[in-house]
Parts: sequence; C-alpha cells; structure tokens
Amino acid sequence: MARAAVIQIPGVNCEYESARALERVGIEASILRFNEPASVLSEFDAFVLPGGFAFQDRIRAGAVAAKLPTIERIGQEAERGKVVLGVCNGAQVLVEAGLVPGIHPGRVELALAPNLAPRRQGYLCRWIHVRAGEGPGRATFAAPLPADRVVPLPMAHGEGRFLTADPEVLRIVDDEGLALFRYVAPDGTPALGYPDDPNGAMLQAAGITNRAGNVLALMPHPERAAVLKHVPLDLAGPWGEARRAGVGSFSALEGPGPGGFLFESLALRLGAAPRAAAPGRRG
Amino acid sequence: MSAVLLVRLKIPDLTALTALDAGRKLLPQGYELTRLVREELVLFEPSPGVSAGEFEPALAHAVETSNFFVNPNKERYRLLRAAERGPALVPAEGSWGILARSRSGTEDLGLLDRLMREHPLRGLRSIRRARIWWLWTRGPEGDTDADRCYPALGPVKSTASGLLVNPHSEGWLRLDSPVSWSRIEAFLAEPASAALEPA
Repeated sequence: MARAAVIQIPGVNCEYESARALERVGIEASILRFNEPASVLSEFDAFVLPGGFAFQDRIRAGAVAAKLPTIERIGQEAERGKVVLGVCNGAQVLVEAGLVPGIHPGRVELALAPNLAPRRQGYLCRWIHVRAGEGPGRATFAAPLPADRVVPLPMAHGEGRFLTADPEVLRIVDDEGLALFRYVAPDGTPALGYPDDPNGAMLQAAGITNRAGNVLALMPHPERAAVLKHVPLDLAGPWGEARRAGVGSFSALEGPGPGGFLFESLALRLGAAPRAAAPGRRG
Repeated sequence: MSAVLLVRLKIPDLTALTALDAGRKLLPQGYELTRLVREELVLFEPSPGVSAGEFEPALAHAVETSNFFVNPNKERYRLLRAAERGPALVPAEGSWGILARSRSGTEDLGLLDRLMREHPLRGLRSIRRARIWWLWTRGPEGDTDADRCYPALGPVKSTASGLLVNPHSEGWLRLDSPVSWSRIEAFLAEPASAALEPA
C-alpha cells in the first residue's frame, strides 16, 4: 500500500483533513511530527506539508520551518523522485526551502509575498477557480483532469503571491509549464485581476512545481474540497449545482468534491489501490 | 524631511526570539548572535513644499491617543521629528541592522485613509512602512563581524544561508554604520532595485 507522511509542524492546522483526503483514495496516511528522526521519512512514498501557520508565520510564512532537518530530508527524498505536496503554508515552506521551482538546486528562487489587490490587504478566504496546464507535474498532480476543466477550490491565505525577482526563473517557470495551476475566471478565461486573480501572483500562478514534476507548492486547499459536502451551497457552476442536488443524500455528499482529483492523481502515481468510489461528480 | 515613528514590543517578542534561535543555527562556528530586536519603521512624508513640522504636533497627538500605531500595553515607540532626529539613523552600540521593505511598494494607503479620517493632518502626503532587524553578533575576535554574519542572517539564498529577508519579495538596506535619513527616505520611496543584490 502506498504510504504518505503528513508532516505536523507546530502551527499547522490542516493535517487531519489532509490525511483523510489521502486515505479516501487508498493512500495510507500517517501524521508525523516534525521532530521525528529524519530517517523515518525514508519509509514513505510521498509527503504532504499541510496548511496552517507553521511557527506562527514568524519572520515570514514558512521561513522558519524551511530550516528544519525534516524539510532538508524531504528535499533529499524528492531528489530520489518521491512525491511532495505542499498546500498553502506547506507551499510557503517548499518555496522558502528552495524545493520549488528548484531550477538551481539549493537556491531560494521564489517568494510567497503578501497578497496584492487594489485597496485590499491581508488574509483572504474564499473560493476561486483554477485550471491545470501542461507541464511536468501534470501526470502526478492533475492526471484525471481534462485540459480545459475549470476547478473551484477554496483559498485562505495572506501571503500567497508567487513572486520572483529573477527574470530567468520567471521565464523558465512560464516556458516549461511549472506553473501547473493558474487562477482563471469561472468561465476558464485568464484571470485578469482581482477577484479572479486573488493575490496578484506572477503568471496568475496558484501552484508551481519543480522541473521534475514531483514537488508541488499549491496555495488553494484541495483537501478542503475533497468531498462534495465541502462545496458551499451558493457556489455557482456545476459543482454548486451538484452540491444543491445532493442535499439530503448522504452518499452523494460523501462523494468526490472538486479537489478530489488531486488526491486521485496522487493515488494513480503511487499505485495505491483505490477504494470503492462513492457516488458523486468527478471533475 | 519626514517624521519617523519607530515601534517595538516591550513584552517578549516571540518572533524575534524565534529569529534569534533560527539565526544562531545558521552562523558559522565561533560566531554568536547574542540579541535580536525587531522594530517597525513608519515614515510620514510631507506634501511638496510643506515641512513635516506643520503636522508633527497633531501626529504626536494621534500616535499617543489612537490605536493606529502603538498599543501602549505591549509596545513602546519613539517619534523622531524631522528637525530633531539628526542626520542619520545610528545603530545602537554593538549592533548592526537590516532594513527590509516590500518590493511591491511601501505606502500604506489604508492607514493613511484611516488616519486622515480620524485625525486630519494638513500637509501629510503618505505613510510608508518598513521593518528593521537589529542584530548583536560577536565573532571569534570579539567584534561584531557583521560582514561574516550577514550572509547567514540576511537575504535568504538557500536553506543554509540567509533568514531575515526574502530577496524576491523584499528590498533591503544594511545598517552597519550610521545611515543618513535621506538615504533611508529614498530607499523607501523609490522602487525596489530589480537586482537581487543589496541596496
């Protein structure tokens, strides 16, 4: 059975729903404390750095956690091809650790800067839409998604703006499809500003992978949209319609939600034995 | 010339303590980080042709009586009036610093709106913000040896080097000797350097 470690760093708060989303697709998930011996990590096939506020975001979000021996070891495991997913605060850790985009190994090449939107500052929590492009990370993180599929996901961050001051890094991220997930309008057209683009990220990036495609830093929270009951009743579009139609049906509400694709993709990549799929929409 | 407000916690600053702990692990052997202080710098720019002295009395009142800038239960502050602040920002004895600002701009429009709504200050054009990390380091020879400690504690380059600034989102200015206020004003007012090198 494929095994994933969900790393519990002081201050994270999404470890349990991340583990549940993995278990749901047949991946055995263990919540592992950040100070476990690093050698334990070699027993796992994949690693998830969940969302939250590691070390209370002191200095900068992800900056302190990025220096942990555990993260260094996860970087070594990623070099061996193991899969690493960082969601929200986990993405901030991966960026501060230089694992994404990892163009020049060991160098920090991006920042996740405070959100930038007209006359708006700070933390933003709502649903947005993303689309997966073509890139080295698609087979690992978006395999079940048709190319043109628009996916609604919840976001909740104050520092989610992917940014680089290095034009060469920007060019490579764009040219090589490392910005696997980009914010789009609900109809799939490019997000040309707030609110479709919630934070002003370069390339409207919501998620960026490394060149090998096995490490993803993703700002929206797929684990908070893993099942249909996670979808708000007032969400527009097909997922909102499915949610409203599912009212009163336990089996429908426990079926896959819009973020489920990512975990299904991981299960495919890791060769996990899928559990019997509950009814519900796939997307 | 601008008026300057410097604010720091008077209760234990857990962010600074965490930075102290993380920074100590990054220093080369034989080097010490003995103290670290985080201070917020707020710059009040006068409109063209106006002296900061025109709004400073009202600003001092606003700082003292509002909760926009300072919570007196946990913070202390110094309001440096333009005419009295001296020519340069001088690091405290034995310390050096890093002044960090957002690459996306330093103006705090929301704070300006709120201040002007509740404490109208004639002649105030903008409010800019930055952060200072004050560091007390000691090298093997007993001096601060900021040059050797700076790569470990300054702009992050890798997990093994750099901590307090992410150069992709922040611009920064080293403060290891007195730095003129005019240079600090320019550093905050001008667009951040495109280069990944220090200002």
